[in-house]
Amino acid sequence: MRTAGLDIGSRTVKLVVIEQGETVLTRKGLTSHDPLEAARALMEGVNYDTIVATGYGRHLLKEHLDCPVISEIKAFALGAKAIYPTCRVILDIGGQDTKAISLNEAGEMSKFEMNDKCAAGTGRFLEIMAAALGYTLEEFPKAALSAGRFEKINSMCTVFAESEVISLTAKGAARPEVALGIHRAIVSRSTTLLKRIAPSGEVFFAGGVALNGCVETLIAEDLGRPVFVPPDPQMVGALGAALHALKSGGREDATP
Amino acid sequence: MSRTVEPLINDEYTGGPPTKRVLARLQEKRKEGRKVAGVYCGYAPTELILAMGISPATLCAFSNATIEAAETVLPANLCPLIKSSYGFIITDTCPFYGLADVVIGETTCDGKKKMFELITDLKPTWIMDLPQVPDQEEAITNWTAMIRKLEGFLETTFGARTTDDGIEDSIRDINRRNAMMREVFEFAALRPAIVGWREMYDLTFLAQGSSGKDMEPVLTEALRKLEERRDGGYSYGPAGAPRVMVTGCPVGGDAEKVFAIIEEAGGVIVALDACSGFKPYMTDTAEGTGDPVRALAERYLKIPCSCMTPNARRLTEMTRLIEKMRPDAVIDVVLQACHSFNIESHKVGEHVEKVHGLPFLKIVTDFSLGDVEQIRTRVEALLESC
Repeated sequence: MRTAGLDIGSRTVKLVVIEQGETVLTRKGLTSHDPLEAARALMEGVNYDTIVATGYGRHLLKEHLDCPVISEIKAFALGAKAIYPTCRVILDIGGQDTKAISLNEAGEMSKFEMNDKCAAGTGRFLEIMAAALGYTLEEFPKAALSAGRFEKINSMCTVFAESEVISLTAKGAARPEVALGIHRAIVSRSTTLLKRIAPSGEVFFAGGVALNGCVETLIAEDLGRPVFVPPDPQMVGALGAALHALKSGGREDATP
Repeated sequence: MSRTVEPLINDEYTGGPPTKRVLARLQEKRKEGRKVAGVYCGYAPTELILAMGISPATLCAFSNATIEAAETVLPANLCPLIKSSYGFIITDTCPFYGLADVVIGETTCDGKKKMFELITDLKPTWIMDLPQVPDQEEAITNWTAMIRKLEGFLETTFGARTTDDGIEDSIRDINRRNAMMREVFEFAALRPAIVGWREMYDLTFLAQGSSGKDMEPVLTEALRKLEERRDGGYSYGPAGAPRVMVTGCPVGGDAEKVFAIIEEAGGVIVALDACSGFKPYMTDTAEGTGDPVRALAERYLKIPCSCMTPNARRLTEMTRLIEKMRPDAVIDVVLQACHSFNIESHKVGEHVEKVHGLPFLKIVTDFSLGDVEQIRTRVEALLESC
């Protein structure tokens, strides 16, 4: 059986197709202002027997495709378990939220914590701060890692933090030092969530922000615990949804 | 199998907000010449107020619509319940406040306390100083004195009078009401569920300021219908739906979005463990003590509000309720900037997870709809783990 998982996130849409336990296709696109269209574009020409949706746009897809949905928390738990079966702690930093998930011995979700309703300390926060400092998303973590010291950023609100960054650069602060300060701010927020739900153990780090090497390094330093980033960290949720589709075995209501 | 059954309260207000039914009843009382006391909180001693021939009216506090007006005066970073209450008053849109001759408030939290100061010049307002270390002997003595002082205030304002015998009668009447409410909760404990949150909420809301005598016909009918539902094999909600207990801050009006999300996610709410739900009916006042006001003080100080410290009773009462209602998950609803419920949530979560082995979720929210999808994600994830 060929099953598909679609993860409609706040910034990107991800599609994974699996067959006989192997990932046979992955695709990614921007969510844009029209997530349904973005999902359709991604699914064009893709064959599958059954599909499960997750992510913020999951209910939109449920309405239009009449497919089952699972929360992204469950999707990340399933995806991470498949990639790294012994891992019990998951951190997902996406476009607009941060989730820390702990799994029990059987690899099932036992507890989770999410950030508050605003996008403070998430992928969107990093995007805006990089832009404020004139870095691309690729340059941003490298610049931060090159700094020997950092400027402390006190506010986690995207709007206030941007003002802080502007004040710092206006005072002549070195850009890489401000960049490191921003990375430290987002990391301390994520590690607080992690410490609350899982005080020990290796961390499986997924979501778009896991592509940022500086965040990864700082989390490992801050926690004093190993951090594992899978090869394609943005695909973990979609993979989890595809795995769920396989497990629920083409239920009757899953008519693509 | 689910099918349509007659609502527990079947009148022209069925299906609408429960406030309209209560308002109609109060307007009748008003026509009969009764005075009305506006109340905000479960600590207002209903038995005394009723014994003096006055009707308590729960004032409006659950609408997002009045918050904008309130924020012209109050800080934005304040509990939505306080902002909404104040907004209702300054925009003159709470019909209960319109009917009220006086307002009774308690010093449950800093926000309310200071908000009351801003409304005292509009209507005669009486503030009761609520002791917050409830297990000390002085707390009972002081709260007894506060109830006596309220009696004095109502006497001077209305010329109303009662006696200790009158208060004793009222205690027996409200105990009877509470016992009948608990019979309803017994039916709510059935598995599968035969009653949804909306019908339970209609009853808890209506009973709040009502005497036992006024509630008796309503509750007798509701209990008869519940028996019929049980015997007829009726079930509420989808088969095998996870059972959810909701605890925390009072929930009503626009905050009902949380209840709606739980049902949309496939859950069925079996217990409303808040002052807007089961709490006011869970404990009785001792009868025939010879000092009915002291008995009232003892009973009211047993309300396990997070403003009390330490509030161990919240956990013991919760255990009782969990054992009775047998939920599959517990959701703690905290209103934004309600520090005491927010901090206490940590203890509640540990208790639920460690003692009862149930999944637990804290939701911090206000009355706006901006966080509905974020709450939905959390609730769905919680129910997936049941």
